[in-house]
Amino acid sequence: MSDGKHEARDGLNAGEEAILRRVGYDGAAARSATSVLIDHELRVADSTLDGVEIMSIQDALMRYDWVQNLMFNLIAPDENELLRQAAELLHDPIGRFVYVHDGAKVSLPVQSFTVLETPQKRQFTHNVTVIGKGAEVEMISGAAVPENVQAGHHVSIDETYVREGARCRSVSIETWGRNMTVDSYSRSEIGAGAEMTSNQIMLASLRRHLSDTKTHIGADASCNDQAIIFAPEGTERNFQTEVFLTAPGARSEHIARMVSAGGRIINNSLLVGETAGVSGFLGCDGLMLSDDGEMVATPSLKAKSVEAQLSHEASVGMIDAEKLAYLMASGLSEDRARDLIVQGFLRLKDEYVPEDMRARVTEMIAAAKSGGM
Amino acid sequence: MTEGLLELRDVSVSVGDKAILRDVSLTVGAGEAHILLGPNGSGKSSVLSAIMGLAPFEVTKGDILYRGQSIKGLGVDERARVGLGMAFQRPPTLEGVTVAEFASALDASARLATEAEALNLGDFADRDLVVGFSGGEIKRWEVLKLFLQAPDFLLFDEPESGVDLEHIAAVGAAVNRLVSAPARDGSKRGALLITHTGLILEHVQADMGHILSGGRIIHSGPPKALFQHIQKSGYVAPAA
Ligand SMILES: Nc1ncnc2c1ncn2[C@@H]1O[C@H](COP(=O)(O)OP(=O)(O)O)[C@@H](O)[C@H]1O
Ligand SMILES: [Mg+2]
Repeated sequence: MSDGKHEARDGLNAGEEAILRRVGYDGAAARSATSVLIDHELRVADSTLDGVEIMSIQDALMRYDWVQNLMFNLIAPDENELLRQAAELLHDPIGRFVYVHDGAKVSLPVQSFTVLETPQKRQFTHNVTVIGKGAEVEMISGAAVPENVQAGHHVSIDETYVREGARCRSVSIETWGRNMTVDSYSRSEIGAGAEMTSNQIMLASLRRHLSDTKTHIGADASCNDQAIIFAPEGTERNFQTEVFLTAPGARSEHIARMVSAGGRIINNSLLVGETAGVSGFLGCDGLMLSDDGEMVATPSLKAKSVEAQLSHEASVGMIDAEKLAYLMASGLSEDRARDLIVQGFLRLKDEYVPEDMRARVTEMIAAAKSGGM
Repeated sequence: MTEGLLELRDVSVSVGDKAILRDVSLTVGAGEAHILLGPNGSGKSSVLSAIMGLAPFEVTKGDILYRGQSIKGLGVDERARVGLGMAFQRPPTLEGVTVAEFASALDASARLATEAEALNLGDFADRDLVVGFSGGEIKRWEVLKLFLQAPDFLLFDEPESGVDLEHIAAVGAAVNRLVSAPARDGSKRGALLITHTGLILEHVQADMGHILSGGRIIHSGPPKALFQHIQKSGYVAPAA
C-alpha cells in the first residue's frame, strides 16, 4: 500500500479511503487512474496517464459527441421499470466514463469505485467504459458503504466496450449494507480479437441483489468470467446472465462458484452460439453449508449452428463428508476443515486476478466465511 | 503384561448391517512396528479406519485403547489430536486447498520444504491436495502429510503400493524416519503398517506381523518369516 500516511487524498476523507481500501482502492502511485463516486457526486476523477481518461459521464457527453451513442446502446430503457426511471434521469446522469485510448498499454490498474454514504438513499449510476483498439489495461472496481449505512437502494448500469484486439483484465469487489437492495445491469461488447477476463467477488451480505448481465463476443474474441458468490442468511442473490458468441472464433468460459450459508442464490445462465466455429462453457457449482438456504442453478445452452461447441456443468451439494474427515484425520477441527474446503471452493484462478489483488481476495474469502463481512 | 501404546481388544466392526471385522485383538507397544497382511477384502484397511474413527465403520464390540485410554468415543479430529495419524490408501481430492495452506493449518510450514524435498515433492507447495496426483505421488504425499502432522502413532495403508522403484527407497526411508522419531513426550512412537508387497520390510524394522483373513486375525508371528510363508502358501495360518 502506498501513501498510507496521507489523509483526505484526492478529495476523500480518511474514513472513505479506509472503506475503499477494503474493496481494492490504492493511492495514485499504484494506480494509473482513479474515479470515486460518492452518493450522487463524482468526488474523484484523476488520471496520471495521457492514454487514460476518466471523468464524469456529463463531462464525457460534452467532450465527445460519440459518447451519447454509447449510452443506452447495449441496454434498452424499456426493458423494465427501473431502467425506464434511470433513463429519465439521463438529462442529469451520474456515473463515470473511462476511456483507454487505442493502443495504450497501461501498466498500473485503472480503479473506479462507488460509495453510498447516506443511509436510505436511492442511487442510480450509469457508467460507460471504452477500451480502445489494441489497448491493454487492468481494471479494479468496487462498491462500498460506511458501516452506518444498512439500508438503501443502488441501481447501476454499466456499458462496456472492449474494442478490437484490446485486452482487459478486471476485478470487481463489492460490500453493501445488510438491508440494502442492489440492481446491477451490465452489458459488454467484446470486439474482434479482444480478450476480456473478469472476476467478480460478491461475498458481502445484503438483502437482495439482482445482477443482470449480457455479453456479446465478436470474432476470435474471448471472454473468461469467474464469479464467487456467498449468501449468508437473509441474503438473496439473483443472477441472470446471457453470453452471446456472435462470430466465428468467439470463445467464452463463464464460471460461478456459489456458497450458501443460509441465503438464497439463483443463477440462470444462458450461452448462445450464434454461428459456426464458436466455443463456450458454463460452469456453475454450488455448495450448501446449511439446510436453511436455497440454491437454483440453471445453465442453458442455445446453438444456432451445428458447429457451435457449447457445454455446461452444474452441481449443487454439501461439503463432502469424506473430504472433511480426511482433513480432520490430521487433527484439524471440523470448523477449520470446513473453512479450508469452502475457501478452496471459492478460490479464483490466480492468473485471472491482477497480482496486487490476490492477497486481498484471499482475505475477503476468509472473512466472508467467518461472518466478518 | 506391559501396557500397549495401541491396543485392540476383541474389536468387531460393521458397516451398516454388514460385519467386516470380528474379534480383532492386537497390542502394539511403544517403539514397535507391526504389519498387517491379508488378501484383498480381508479387512486390513477397515482395521486402520476403525482405529482412526472414520465413517462408515462402526465398532460394535470390544474396545480400542490408546495409551491405556479408550478412544472409542472420540471423533476423528480428537483421535488425531491425541496422537494418531494415518497415511490413507485412497485419499480424496481437495480442490483449491494447497499443500502449503494445509501445512500452514497444521502449523507445519517450517517443516514443509525439507520434508517435501526428501520425498521428491519439492515443487508441490502450490498444488491442490491430491488433485491430479499420480498413484506414486499420492503415496509420497501421504507420507509427507504425516511429517507435517507428526503423530505419535502411525497408521500406514500400503505406503509402498504403486510407488515406482525409483522412489521406493525414499519412501521406505521416510517411513522409517517417521517410525523411529521420538514421540512428542520423548517416549517412542508406534506403528501399524499394511503391506501387500512386503517391500517396506526392507526399510522398516517390524516387530510383529498379523495375517487377516475374512475379518479375523488368523495368525501372528515374526514379520519376515510370515511374509515368506505367505509367498509360499498363501494367506493361511502356518501349520503349528
Ligand atoms: N465403505 C464400505 N462400505 C461397505 N463395505 C465396505 C466399505 N469399505 C470396505 N468394505 C468391505 O469390507 C471388507 C474389507 O475391506 P477392506 O478393509 O478395504 O479390505 P482390505 O484393505 O483388506 O483390502 C470388504 O468386503 C469390503 O467390501
Ligand atoms: Mg485396503
